[in-house]
Amino acid sequence: MRAIWFVSQIALFGLIASRMMSIPNYFQYYVAGLSVMTLYSAAIFIGFDIYEEAEHGVFEYLLSLPVSRKQLVLGRSIGGGLRAFIYVGPLIALSLYVIGATNPLSFLVALFALFLFSFGVSGMSITIAVIIKSSDRFDILMGVLDALIVRLSTAMYPLAVVQAANPLYGGLASFNPVTYAADLFRWGTGIEAIITLSNPLWPLLGIIAFFAFFTFFGVIIYDRRIEGGGWQ
Amino acid sequence: MPPIIQIQNLTKKFGNLAAVDHLDLEIEEGEIFGLLGPNGAGKTTAILMLATVIKPTEGTALVGGFDIRKSPDKVRGLLGIAFQEPKMLWVATPWDVVNWHAKVCGLSTEERKRRVKQVLETVDMWEPRHKNVHALSGGMRKRVEMAKVLIQRPKIAIVDEPTTQIDVVGKHKIWNMLLELRDEGSTIILATNELYEADRLSDRVGIMHRGKLLVCDTPKTLKDSILGGDIIDIQLEKDASPTIVEELKSFKEVVDIMQVKPTNLRLYLNRVEEVVPQIMNLLMKKNVPVNSIRMSEPSLDDVFAHYTGLTIEEAQKDEG
Repeated sequence: MRAIWFVSQIALFGLIASRMMSIPNYFQYYVAGLSVMTLYSAAIFIGFDIYEEAEHGVFEYLLSLPVSRKQLVLGRSIGGGLRAFIYVGPLIALSLYVIGATNPLSFLVALFALFLFSFGVSGMSITIAVIIKSSDRFDILMGVLDALIVRLSTAMYPLAVVQAANPLYGGLASFNPVTYAADLFRWGTGIEAIITLSNPLWPLLGIIAFFAFFTFFGVIIYDRRIEGGGWQ
Repeated sequence: MPPIIQIQNLTKKFGNLAAVDHLDLEIEEGEIFGLLGPNGAGKTTAILMLATVIKPTEGTALVGGFDIRKSPDKVRGLLGIAFQEPKMLWVATPWDVVNWHAKVCGLSTEERKRRVKQVLETVDMWEPRHKNVHALSGGMRKRVEMAKVLIQRPKIAIVDEPTTQIDVVGKHKIWNMLLELRDEGSTIILATNELYEADRLSDRVGIMHRGKLLVCDTPKTLKDSILGGDIIDIQLEKDASPTIVEELKSFKEVVDIMQVKPTNLRLYLNRVEEVVPQIMNLLMKKNVPVNSIRMSEPSLDDVFAHYTGLTIEEAQKDEG
């Protein structure tokens, strides 16, 4: 289903919308952004797994295992991130076919950044899920977050356009992990060179910080909210 | 040798409800310790605190010398748990469940290959090892849960109601596994509401009710501790009147009377041979027809009743 959605977005929305845009190579730009958006939505899914585990009492089993809480949360977020990457891998390959990567080394750096981004989103999803403890509220919040994080990023439009629409939006989009991931992916595939990104180090550092924060924060929250006295 | 588990003032409150209320207990290395009580007595909560799954509200416990509050990682390294409800979700088959558990517990690939087969054969789950866990019967799922403990061979094994909803043959298999595990050197905490199971397997038994530990000793000592070494169950044709109960109590050999049902009386008494004819005489004189009379020795149910005033079934309903 995700693949059908992805291909429809490229073949219908991407192709049609790119004809309205004055930005050069907008179609490739959009395809790269769409890959990151899909990766984001796949990685966020781990939060729903948390609710399923709570419902089936699997939490108790996980918490009783002879591993530290740090290993447990890191394992969950890396597992969730990796799963998202595996799901979205074929779609990313399709994007690469459409875009055509130019520099293999840059592309490997970008791919590494996408890995970290995927793990970070997973960690964020786990953290939010254990804070909220309600699958309905989590579902709604994820919808809101998706609207804010993805729309206020450069996934679908260049930063200059966002900035021109509203300087506040531009400011927020500049500090957004989706922006970092999308920019790096484009840089890795050679698109960003013709659009905006001047130094790939900043978005890379941003993604590392995003991943590290939610892994660290996730451990603390998981420990306090789950171990503190059960799920409900 | 110091006890392998020392529980000190352990308390867990959920709101105003004390699920475990100032529990003090010591468990010796190499014993099977039966934690007996009805559902809702606090057994599972106590176990989950020992396993560092939930944090105590008050008090603590030393497990293998490690404090559950200060060194939870070290405590978990000593423990293996077979949960009341088997926990399986993202893995599909018994083989996956046991193999994944062994992997997390640090068994090497080579050892895993050998031991997973061995353990699944022990619990009679080798044949259906590739069946989906959700298609297994309750008994099979319990055996897979036990297999996790067996493959781990923990220093301390905790088994929570291991034979609920299992047929007699299955029960005996699991009991034998627990005895073998103990003989191999593991200390076992057996949480159960099955009196026969606790009596048959436990070296010592702790009886819990409403979060409190009421009494703790060997099954024999507990049974001997009830005043009146004998029990007779009298089934009357009609409901027993308060007057007849009072008259029966007036025998000096009768220590206690429990009205199990309106028509059923359980008498705890001494010198049963001497007093039974007198009791029968009294009932005949008072024109109280008797359906049956049965003599027995005290069981853990009687010990439970002695300390709580309820049978374990009544306590279960009470908690429900």
